[in-house]
Amino acid sequence: MGEVIVVTSGKGGVGKTTTTANIGAGLASMGCKVALVDADIGLRNLDVVLGLENRIVYDIVDVTSGNCRLRQALIKDKRLEGLHLLPAAQTKDKTAVSPEQMRELCGELKKEFDYIIIDCPAGIEQGFRNAVAGAEKAVVVTTPEVSAVRDADRIIGLLEAAGLYEPKLVINRIRLKMVRQGDMMSIEDIIDILAIDLLGVIPEDELIVITTNRGEAVVLDQNSRSGQAYRNITRRILGEEVPMVNLEEEDGFLKKLRKIIGLK
Amino acid sequence: MTCSKRDVRGEVISGFAEGIPAGQEDLVDDNTILVQRTLRSGQSIHYDGNVVILGDLNPGSEVVAKGNVIIMGVLRGVVHAGACGDENAVVMAFRLQPTQLRIANHITRPPDDEPEDTGQPEMARIKDGVVTIEAFQTGGERQGKAN
Ligand SMILES: Nc1ncnc2c1ncn2[C@@H]1O[C@H](COP(=O)(O)OP(=O)(O)OP(=O)(O)O)[C@@H](O)[C@H]1O
Ligand SMILES: [Mg+2]
Repeated sequence: MGEVIVVTSGKGGVGKTTTTANIGAGLASMGCKVALVDADIGLRNLDVVLGLENRIVYDIVDVTSGNCRLRQALIKDKRLEGLHLLPAAQTKDKTAVSPEQMRELCGELKKEFDYIIIDCPAGIEQGFRNAVAGAEKAVVVTTPEVSAVRDADRIIGLLEAAGLYEPKLVINRIRLKMVRQGDMMSIEDIIDILAIDLLGVIPEDELIVITTNRGEAVVLDQNSRSGQAYRNITRRILGEEVPMVNLEEEDGFLKKLRKIIGLK
Repeated sequence: MTCSKRDVRGEVISGFAEGIPAGQEDLVDDNTILVQRTLRSGQSIHYDGNVVILGDLNPGSEVVAKGNVIIMGVLRGVVHAGACGDENAVVMAFRLQPTQLRIANHITRPPDDEPEDTGQPEMARIKDGVVTIEAFQTGGERQGKAN
């Protein structure tokens, strides 16, 4: 039986879809069978981020309303063997699916996949309730901004009320230079308020924008810090103990040089 | 909150539906409620008595009490003590950094410039008609004796 994980945040635009795509690609690259579910009905994104938009025939609403079988709606990724996407509908809205239908759908997917990752829409309304309905675990994404952290806090409360205890935290778009100058919330500041376990920290990285626009996943890029950060998150989800990367190695020209010439 | 005497469990406490998971019972006595958790953004507790919280009060959360409010963690949300007009009500916190603090019909907020973290437990109460904040010393004046 697979495990259903919802990726959520409250606030919009903090990196849920990016995180869903990269965790999915990461798990698939390590040999897992993964289904990504885009629960952001009406604002379909995940297919674009994965570069699969042109393959969509059926979507999640077609499945829940019985227009097609689940198998027909699942799209295979073009690069990764084990990766599949159940796209959102673009022409319907969040009320086209009910929490009960989501639970049923997740139950179906669990029979076939090791991991089912659900990309939750922003907000706390029906879209959120649908996305968490079938989930067993939750990942909360935030950025180091007061408003995002506030919304994450709200979401953690709502997750607990929905029976999803001990969600894991992903802090996205951190800029250590700004943190050091006291211009950005630090990891400690955020944990101090949210008081949940940290799953990983993703640095601000323009490569994320570049890969996203190309329909690729940065987690497969072996040389980037953000790719490394997502690979570490993937391994932590698989149960490995991975120490938090020392993000201080940021502006590491010298470090790189040392690596190249073989000094550690 | 309306301030009639009402059934303690039934009506007066709101926010339970989404706020407090089943199974985490709060201990209730005559007029003090003990909440054994952190209140997160959007969660609130309204109570016709004293409220003691064994956790933090995060920004965006709210406690409204007819009596005193004690936070055994960091108070970052909004607290209204003495909500029915009791000017003797106090607010105490292990760390007092509220978004806004209300006692009876007085409202205060921290100064807009960088709020200083005094690093010690503090107590807020009304003294000579204004809300004052002082370090909380155990063994010092006891609440209720002042005024
Ligand atoms: N670590 C990062 N560094 C730089 N850009 C990033 C990073 N993470 C995300 N982005 C960019 O931020 C934008 C929003 O990300 P994304 O779509 O994943 O957010 P979302 O939470 O899914 O948004 P929505 O709430 O609209 O669904 C995208 O353009 C993405 O490329
Ligand atoms: Mg999204």
